[in-house]
Amino acid sequence: MSAGAGWARAQRRAFLLGLAPALIVLAAVTVGPAVYLVATSLTPLTPVKPGSGLDFSHPLGNYIQALFQSSFPHSVLLQAELSVLTVGMQTLAGVGLALLLDVESRWMEVLRTGFLVPMVLPPIVVAIIWKVLTTPDVSPAYSLLAWFGLRPGSLVTNPVTALPLIAFADTWEWFPFTMLMVLAALQMQPREQLEAARIDGANSRQMFWHVRLPFIRPALTVAVLFRLIDSIKAFPLIYVLTDGGPGRATEVTNYYAFIQTFNFAYWGYGSAIATMMVAGVFALSLLIGRLGFGRDEDA
Amino acid sequence: MGGKLRRRAVITGAAGMLALPGKAPAAVGAKPLSGVTLNVSCWNAPYPQFLKKYIPEFEQETGARVVYTTPAFPIYNQRMDIALATHSDAYDVINVTFIYIGRWVGAGWMTPLDPLIADPKLTPANWDPKDFLPGIEAAFRDAKGQLCAVPWIADVMMGGAARYDLIRAAGLTMPDTFDEMHKMLAAVSHKDGLPGFVVENHYGWTFLGYLQGFGANVFRAPPHDLMPVLDTPEAVQAAEFFATIMRDYGPRGALSYTYDQVTAALKAAKVIYSTENEAFVTQMAQKGAAAAPTCGFSLFPKGPAGRFPQIATHGWGIPAGSRKKDAAWQFIAWAMSKKLLLRMFREQGWSSVTRRSIIDLPEFHAKLNYNGFDVAKIYLETLNLADKGYMAYRTVPAYPQIDRQINIALQSVISGEKKAAQAMKDAQHNSLEALRRAGVKL
Repeated sequence: MSAGAGWARAQRRAFLLGLAPALIVLAAVTVGPAVYLVATSLTPLTPVKPGSGLDFSHPLGNYIQALFQSSFPHSVLLQAELSVLTVGMQTLAGVGLALLLDVESRWMEVLRTGFLVPMVLPPIVVAIIWKVLTTPDVSPAYSLLAWFGLRPGSLVTNPVTALPLIAFADTWEWFPFTMLMVLAALQMQPREQLEAARIDGANSRQMFWHVRLPFIRPALTVAVLFRLIDSIKAFPLIYVLTDGGPGRATEVTNYYAFIQTFNFAYWGYGSAIATMMVAGVFALSLLIGRLGFGRDEDA
Repeated sequence: MGGKLRRRAVITGAAGMLALPGKAPAAVGAKPLSGVTLNVSCWNAPYPQFLKKYIPEFEQETGARVVYTTPAFPIYNQRMDIALATHSDAYDVINVTFIYIGRWVGAGWMTPLDPLIADPKLTPANWDPKDFLPGIEAAFRDAKGQLCAVPWIADVMMGGAARYDLIRAAGLTMPDTFDEMHKMLAAVSHKDGLPGFVVENHYGWTFLGYLQGFGANVFRAPPHDLMPVLDTPEAVQAAEFFATIMRDYGPRGALSYTYDQVTAALKAAKVIYSTENEAFVTQMAQKGAAAAPTCGFSLFPKGPAGRFPQIATHGWGIPAGSRKKDAAWQFIAWAMSKKLLLRMFREQGWSSVTRRSIIDLPEFHAKLNYNGFDVAKIYLETLNLADKGYMAYRTVPAYPQIDRQINIALQSVISGEKKAAQAMKDAQHNSLEALRRAGVKL
């Protein structure tokens, strides 16, 4: 008995010893910077004031300033709007196309690959493509409309259309991700389930809501969660197309933090915004997990 | 043969190094900066592009290798702000951006250049530091009066028409006042399908001549009284005027025009008129530009309160963190030498020069005469106007924050999102908040 216990202890120690290098590296590259971020957020760190990084006299100063300053809550509302728009459009486009492409055919395979192109382009290239498309002087789309006698205004300089345009461009870039995840799930669905539903007389709508959607729901939840997190990181499109404008129409939280940190050198304040963003994403992920959207009903 | 040469080179080099440590290469005829790599950076503008063509000559002459980067203006400023704040040694020579002078020089992040200028081993006797325009150079002096950058540009804002022929055809001349400008734009805009007016979307710069022209300002009495005054009736009137001409006579998407787009539109004669930097508008007169035969120039128009053409300067400086300060200074001394600046003027038409001796040359005046417009005279008159001191707002360390508030306000008015009064009231509120946060006592 004691020999067995000793062996188990030795085994545990060996496991820990084996894991230690990986844990140390993980701590160094993730936990370390995260702790530093939180610590910095408790100081008024700015490079123009030496010693400000060690000033913990008002640890919640940055957070109070953020919550009671008009620009930060405004940026959070814009962020929510952008996230709802992008995730909504990407989910609809991704699921819709996945359903259409879920057919055994060589042509469909070619089409699937074609749809993946925007996703594999570097984000800055995507931003430049949209910059060209939305600049009336050089845009082929505007030239085409002019050929039909139409002269619409610029969408990026209109405060009503600027944010939806960013969401649309983001959707163009990232809907293939949702499509790919959903398509993979659809192709794993046993054909017997579909045949049984058809024999029972289910129409297309019933097939989708009661047979296909429940099956793809776990994969769809993961895709939505990924896209939701990514929507909060939106940056290149805003940087290239609108610079947060016109006015503050596209100054979402991420961009707001960037301006505060890199244009005004408020590093401590920027860290506080980043910390709140991390906490927000974490809370959202927990909430989605708790609501059970990702659970497989058969499990 | 090759073996002999190699052996001779090794022996010569070793003898030189033993005889005169630190001075050996020059003493034996080798290049003085052999083996030195200089990292030089400036934002992307006509002058750094002109200079780029001569850098191989510096490398050839000194043996130094120059890594030269010219990112876009906002990217450059962000990159340098971080490099300077962290006392990085990543850069040896950098551009000191006008609106960052207060911060970069004020924080002691730049190397004082006076000892390097005074060192006869590093600065040729005929370099003549007193030749630089004193009013422009003064912007780069720190609180102790030490020079922290050598100005490479005295950029003045002026009026420029790419299609002066259309203005003449309407029976008008280059506008001298805001009223004349408005009338001219109403008369010529959309002729030949062309928009009448555009300026770059950095309104914290391009709008300020209008703001001051209407009798308003950014601060109450800079640099001592930094109470923002962006919501005065005059400021609102200026915002309304500016937004009207941008909205009614600007191209579609005028709000997204960066300085390079404005320059390209002017050169291609795709917009009729602009009030922009001399370095940009004079490119209309370049050989090959579509606007060359039809361009016209004037002083920046005056408003009810007078004429306030904006003047900017940028200069070459050495970050405090650089480990190659002597070599870095030799690059600056070469780049800002009379000889090279004169060549740049003669060979490439660089005209926003900061050396008085070049401005006073008869050939400077002769060359800057485009289609009968004496641009040299406009340039000098504008520089003289700056002596009134109305540019003091720009070197306030917290100005970048206020600059953004002005940008946001003007974008909101031009796009129709807000009325001018509301937008300027918001800009005032946000500027107050930004200044208090920056520790400015109001």
